[in-house]
Amino acid sequence: MRALLWLASIIAASALAFALGGYATDVYRKMLVWIALALSYNFLFGVAGQIAFSQFAFAGVGAYGVVILSYKLGLPFGVALVGAIALCALLAFIVAVPSTRLEGFYLALATLAFAQLFLVVVNEGGELTGGTGGIAGYKLPEVFGIALRGPWYTVVLVLLVALTLHLLLRLERSSFGRACRAIKANPAVAAAMGIDVRRTKVITFTLTSTLAGLAGAAYAYVDNVINPPVFGLDNIFMLLFMIIVGGMGRPAGAIVGAVLLYLAPFVLEPIVGHAYLVLFGVLVVLAILFQPQGLIGLVDRLRPERRA
Amino acid sequence: MDDFLELTVSAMASGCIYGLMALAYLIVLRPTSIINFAIGEWAATGAFVGVGMLSTLAWPHFEGPYILAVVAVVVVLGLLGWVVERLTVRPLLRRGAAVTSPILALLGVLVIFRESLTLIYGADPLPSPPPFGFRRIEIGPFAGASQQFFIIAVTLSLFVAVWLFFERTVWGRAFEAVALNRRAAALMGINLGRVTALAFAAGASVAGLAGLLMSPLTSAHYMMGLPLAIQGFTALVIGGVGRVEGALLGGLILAFVEQLGARYLPIPSGLTLAFPFALLILFLLLRPTGLIAPREAR
Repeated sequence: MRALLWLASIIAASALAFALGGYATDVYRKMLVWIALALSYNFLFGVAGQIAFSQFAFAGVGAYGVVILSYKLGLPFGVALVGAIALCALLAFIVAVPSTRLEGFYLALATLAFAQLFLVVVNEGGELTGGTGGIAGYKLPEVFGIALRGPWYTVVLVLLVALTLHLLLRLERSSFGRACRAIKANPAVAAAMGIDVRRTKVITFTLTSTLAGLAGAAYAYVDNVINPPVFGLDNIFMLLFMIIVGGMGRPAGAIVGAVLLYLAPFVLEPIVGHAYLVLFGVLVVLAILFQPQGLIGLVDRLRPERRA
Repeated sequence: MDDFLELTVSAMASGCIYGLMALAYLIVLRPTSIINFAIGEWAATGAFVGVGMLSTLAWPHFEGPYILAVVAVVVVLGLLGWVVERLTVRPLLRRGAAVTSPILALLGVLVIFRESLTLIYGADPLPSPPPFGFRRIEIGPFAGASQQFFIIAVTLSLFVAVWLFFERTVWGRAFEAVALNRRAAALMGINLGRVTALAFAAGASVAGLAGLLMSPLTSAHYMMGLPLAIQGFTALVIGGVGRVEGALLGGLILAFVEQLGARYLPIPSGLTLAFPFALLILFLLLRPTGLIAPREAR
């Protein structure tokens, strides 16, 4: 039954890709990438309670990694993709081991410094990273003779979201997920219960950052352009806001938040211009003050009989 | 050598700005354990409030109006800080929410401030007139723009005043008591709510002053906040989160590493942008308490 539901959702989301066209396709694809990023960030921030500002930097490592390895260095695409993801995992691990030792908000500072360092390196990378202009003019190579073009690439993104969601749901319901929640609630108690706090934190950070890298690699072939501002700080704030507004610690909340905040500017910008960002700020403050469970918490309240 | 001395003045001035930003963090962080990223936007707001005052009041008669601009920045920012504390931080603290909640709420406040600034003043940078004109000043072997010396003088006096406040006044001791032990301080009759409100107001005023002081060198721009916020907490982490003098020391170290590195190290200038982040990571990993350790309870 559950498997059927998954299959139906994937088919419906893929069918949408064929129904849309032109600009709508572009919007839909980016929304899918945002959802994938929001899902993994939700696990790190909402479930495990780690505030890190490096999610987009790792998406950038994935995106730049795969494009540089395949397009600039001419490696076969499969090797480039695996290489980029491996690089993400390795970097995330290197960042995680010392910085998860830091208490509270110092993790945010360390990861913010890492994210800014990544931007400096990309901006100054010269020929290899294309500097401030980024890299353009490449396209997704054929894999086993199949060229994924048009709506079929959107299907790839749908599968990416499904894979991310499936993996994180499994993880959340496992003992590992419970360990993460326990650490978020009270690290000292979690440690007393025999949970290896540091190991759990390092694994969580490395895994979610690697998933961000995968989403970044997928993003690289959405427009076939990558440039530094996409992976900057403004977007990480947006990701944080999506989780807060949608509902911290709930995958459904992450999806709702990502869809809503990603699509809202298309509706709001013609009406209020750039002021929609002020509205987002107000929305976040209001959510934290009056509805810490986010929009998904409101949905729960509307149907109390469904709560276990 | 002349080159080096001139660099010293410029690094001192930048270091003072970073130190003020670190101080703004510290004033809020000490009694509340809240790291307030919105402080960068408050500096930008200070710059815009100052520029607004200066361009409406009969510039360039600096003697009267400039002091008015300074007062306006301190008062307006103090009020804004107080209002933000009232509306966002206090309800959360009262509810006993996790300490991350006000920090995240203040990130929302950051975006509100930045985007409001662009809506009010537009996205173009506004030039900000320096109080002593664009003259070059030489004091002994040190030469620099008048604004740089002005920044150094104002910052040093402000740090002395804040240091005296913390060390010598009852209110300062109350801040320190709350920092050491909130519960015990409350039991001693210290009004926690009032200390928190005052901390936000004072932090916002200091940040606003930093923005006003810096604006003649860079002009007032809505994107000036975030870099200042980052440099400020880098300075804070270097100097140590516990002591007022640490904030200034951290700011100066950061500015000297930045500017001496950019001038004398044989690497592309763009890469010198990485120095603060490298320094921040280094200190977080090797010496998270900073150079000057907080005072123990006595």
